[in-house]
Amino acid sequence: MSGEIAITMRNLGKRYGAHEVLRGIDLDVRHGEVTCLIGPSGSGKSTLLRCVAFLEEHDSGIIRIGGAALGFDEGADGARVRLPVGEIARVRRNIGMVFQQFNLWPHMTALGNVAEGLRQVLRLPKREARERAMAHLGRVGLAEKADAYPSQLSGGQQQRVAIARALAMDPKIMLFDEPTSSLDPELTGEVLTVMRDLAAEGMTMLVVTHEIGFAAHVAQHVVFLDQARIALEGRAGEVFRKPWHPRLSQFLETYLDRGASVLLGG
Amino acid sequence: MTDFDALWEALPEIVDGLGLTIFMWLAGSLLSPVLGLGVAWARRFGPGWVDRPLWAYVEVIRGTPFLVQMFLLYYGGPFIGLDLDPTTAGLLGLTVYGAAYFSEILRGGLIAVPKGHVEAALCVGLDRGQIIRRILLPEMTLLVLPASVNMFVVLLKETAVLSIITVPELTMAVTGFGSANFAFTQSALVLAICYWSLTEITGRVGRGLERRLDRFRIA
Amino acid sequence: MTWIHVYLLAMGALVTAGLSVVSITVGLGIGILVCAASLAKAAPLRWVARVYVSFFRGVPLLVLLLLIYHLLPQIGIDVPGVVAALVGLTLCTSAYQAETLRGGFVNIAPGLVEAGRMVGLSGAQLLVRIRAPIALRLTLPALVNEAIMILKASSLVSVVGVGDITRTAQNLSSSTYRPIEMFACAGVFYLVLNFVVARGGNGLGRLLGLPRA
Repeated sequence: MSGEIAITMRNLGKRYGAHEVLRGIDLDVRHGEVTCLIGPSGSGKSTLLRCVAFLEEHDSGIIRIGGAALGFDEGADGARVRLPVGEIARVRRNIGMVFQQFNLWPHMTALGNVAEGLRQVLRLPKREARERAMAHLGRVGLAEKADAYPSQLSGGQQQRVAIARALAMDPKIMLFDEPTSSLDPELTGEVLTVMRDLAAEGMTMLVVTHEIGFAAHVAQHVVFLDQARIALEGRAGEVFRKPWHPRLSQFLETYLDRGASVLLGG
Repeated sequence: MTDFDALWEALPEIVDGLGLTIFMWLAGSLLSPVLGLGVAWARRFGPGWVDRPLWAYVEVIRGTPFLVQMFLLYYGGPFIGLDLDPTTAGLLGLTVYGAAYFSEILRGGLIAVPKGHVEAALCVGLDRGQIIRRILLPEMTLLVLPASVNMFVVLLKETAVLSIITVPELTMAVTGFGSANFAFTQSALVLAICYWSLTEITGRVGRGLERRLDRFRIA
Repeated sequence: MTWIHVYLLAMGALVTAGLSVVSITVGLGIGILVCAASLAKAAPLRWVARVYVSFFRGVPLLVLLLLIYHLLPQIGIDVPGVVAALVGLTLCTSAYQAETLRGGFVNIAPGLVEAGRMVGLSGAQLLVRIRAPIALRLTLPALVNEAIMILKASSLVSVVGVGDITRTAQNLSSSTYRPIEMFACAGVFYLVLNFVVARGGNGLGRLLGLPRA
């Protein structure tokens, strides 16, 4: 499985009115790899990720997840057809998503959040859903917080519950949309640790992040987006060792205080 | 003090009136959020053409006095074949009135549910119906609780207006007694205390409920 | 329905408007005092303010009007209906406005007052220059709502015999047997008055530089 293509994007485009957010994106995400999307704000990296979750609908091009077209496919005559809702949901089942704002449901406990999909989507019996949810909470180190409500958890803990919630559905690919950007600096570590563990277990991950240190140390594949396009992509080591691209070196300089200095220094 | 003795004699009628007041209030408080939710839902998710007439309904009801609406319904109704007894007209009027306010409260609540919570549910694989039942409605209910409690108090106080179209509720029962015995002041005092107690209790229950639901709220 | 009817209803609208303006203005004055009491250091003052607000917000205006209409003559003050109406409306709205204003004062970001203190403003200066204007900005939309509420609630003064819009419509409806037209027309008058108040509120908000509601 490892090394096979998990997600393919071909000539992906997205616009809001006159504003082009994504233009001609060609990208392959491989199984078992961590792919990091970096770039200045407004470069389109979050939109790209949200297109892969089909939370945003792309206007042109095609996204395939495990070979199956997501949302839109080309008909026999080459015309673009929207796939039925059930088909979209089926393809989306391969994906778990973690949001910048956590988006835990405030009226459910940590356990309730993780068990919701198991009960409602997979229709597991109560006990089994509970056991599996507990196991996933344990995996992110929060088994003892199972009965706490989101309002009673720190930001870092909420994000770890959100990761457990996504993992519980047993996705093949995990998407992370700036998972540490709304956390206090001292709380980012616990979330990054969980993500690092996940990467070590061989989870396929597509991560939008400003944590250049994480991208450099954990990612195999780094994609630098700038002005709606992929400006540069490659193996993590290559991209960071030789930031020959003027926009990339400019971008990295703004992150010097966030660990990039170590990398640039060699 | 003889006035108060007479009041004691009239107690059964007053208790009946109180019972009807509470019935009208509870029924109105149950029906108007349901109708209001229908209106809010139709305006947010329904076809585009329903928005204008529903907007007009909400604005007209919220822009005119309940008393005028009741007069129109009760005295005007028979001219268009709507010949209702006072209590039925009262309940209908109260529901139509409350629903306009509730539709705005609930519409605000629906809009205030963070989009990300729905997106998270989509990503976990919940379908439309599940998202509505499991995420949207419960979160909306939490958000609209304080405004709803306020509205329940408003509805309770508006039931007093129904006495003017001769619904035999508390105000009608007590003022009827008052004019029969020339005990206007005593009867008005009794009324004030009855309503004050009811609204105060409702407010307290509402605030207590809010405190208990506090842990469901992310700051 | 003839122009005479519209004219009579318009006269009623003047009465409604007059009653509303007077009770809202006087009510604001009393409301400010009650609000001050509710924020006072002395516990008895706070207690009195709490009961005042709770009572006048908790009792239906109709009951309040009946109480005043019958109670005042008993203690030797013989009042015409219009005075009872004004007193009732004023007491009712003053309680609502006091509570609204209190909310405004409580919700002022503490940092704004602290910043004023650091600039060297005195307690009175803080109140006049910082806290009161901010509280007003915070509560203006709610106060405009309250004005609209009182405008509508004033229809109840018809029960103490004041010839406002509603009372006029009632009279016309029983003399012409055309309740639908009369009450619908009355409703239109209320909508127009509300529109004027809402517009005025928006204008006032713009004057204060508030974001448009």
